[in-house]
Amino acid sequence: MNTNGNIYTVVYSAIIVVLVAAVLAFASSVLKPMQDANIKAETISQILAAAGIQDKDTPTTNEAILDKYSETVTEAFVVDLEGNVVKALDTKRENIELVDGLKAENTNIKNNAEVNLPVYKFNNGTTVIPVYGAGLWGPVWGYVAFKEDLKTIAGAYFDHASETPGLGAKIKDDPSFRALFQGKTADFQAEPAFAIVKGASAANEVDAITGATMTSKGLSAAIGTWFKAYAAYFAGNAAPVDEKHCCKQHEGCEEHANCEEHEGSEEHENCEHKDCCEQHKTVEE
Amino acid sequence: MDAKIKETLLNPIFKGNPITVLVLGICSSLAVTVELKGALVMAVSVIIVTGLANLILSLLRNTIPNRVRIIVQLVVVAMLVILVDEILKAFAYPVEKQLSVYIGLIITNCIVMGRIEAFALGNKPFASLLDGLANGAGYGLILVIVAFFRELLGSGTLLGIRIIPESFYEAGYMNNGLVILPPMALILIGCIIWVQRSIQKDLQEK
Repeated sequence: MNTNGNIYTVVYSAIIVVLVAAVLAFASSVLKPMQDANIKAETISQILAAAGIQDKDTPTTNEAILDKYSETVTEAFVVDLEGNVVKALDTKRENIELVDGLKAENTNIKNNAEVNLPVYKFNNGTTVIPVYGAGLWGPVWGYVAFKEDLKTIAGAYFDHASETPGLGAKIKDDPSFRALFQGKTADFQAEPAFAIVKGASAANEVDAITGATMTSKGLSAAIGTWFKAYAAYFAGNAAPVDEKHCCKQHEGCEEHANCEEHEGSEEHENCEHKDCCEQHKTVEE
Repeated sequence: MDAKIKETLLNPIFKGNPITVLVLGICSSLAVTVELKGALVMAVSVIIVTGLANLILSLLRNTIPNRVRIIVQLVVVAMLVILVDEILKAFAYPVEKQLSVYIGLIITNCIVMGRIEAFALGNKPFASLLDGLANGAGYGLILVIVAFFRELLGSGTLLGIRIIPESFYEAGYMNNGLVILPPMALILIGCIIWVQRSIQKDLQEK
């Protein structure tokens, strides 16, 4: 047979392409459920990492992640831009609901349209919210955990699609960048509420990554946009914190017990809440 | 074993190694050798892709219209690469996340196209399959050797398990940051080529 004729060439190419397409379509539909389960577990593990419940670097299985989530989560729901709870998210082990499609929500926030902003609350007192925005090469996103006062950041975890390895990718790969967020406070009165800047000085700023200006700016904008979207909810739901009684926050914790029992003693010196307790004393006086 | 089959299988591992002798597929060997695990997955992926691509195209070799043969090769290789990526996404998601960019780049790996053009289009399917697998293995072997040294010296671990004991770090030992960076992969490959050429004198240029 002449394999170099025009008709033969066209027909042959067409058959090959259709066959290949069929194989790929079949493989994709068979593997889709498993891929979705993996993506969901990955998202949950990022939320848990932000909440400080489970370290992201510890190898674990999808099952273990789902177990951990359903054990530790106390509440998960969706709020709108006015801070009203729109609907609850299922947290049961076999049917964990998350808000997918942060990209769509990001657009909605910017357009002031109807949004589904997820809030995940955990039994260690943290409230986790997502952030999403554009990095240098592709999307960057992450999860930020707040303490009960809904101002102090307890932890954060960030991820990206295609930032430069060694530079922008540090938002995910460098634990010391994530650690910068711990203990910082968002200021929801300010614009933006939180920022990643060069030479951070204020409580609502962290240092940008050297050599990754665009990624840092993108992540900063993402955080600013999403924090603003949650501002109304946070303002209405923060646990009342009387600064005079900051020691109350630590009630029940061992350090606090030491503070009171051993005032003036060595243990008191080592107590990490010493300053707080002393301030408290001063205020009372 | 048939001497010819033996030759097909063993030649690409050492004497005609695609990386150290043919100097093909260098780019990906720089990128995926920071950790042993990634290198192993990449090695297995490339072995599968080169093997199957060679087999399929050898089966089709008498039917492929000569004018569009490169395109037909590309379509088949692309299909295999996407399949590998999808399967990894389903069964080894963390690895896939780390490697997805490079898995996609297997298609541009010169070894795959090179072996199809040079071997599969002119040989029987079984021999082609062996040739593909062996070339993938030759590539994977270098990848694993490089990754072994890079992970051990750069992170003090192997497959994520700590090898260099804590007491070394306490005594002032530090991981070598340079080993993590791509240039060191090139230097390591250079060393491997050096070792190979000093063993195998006929590769030395006069």
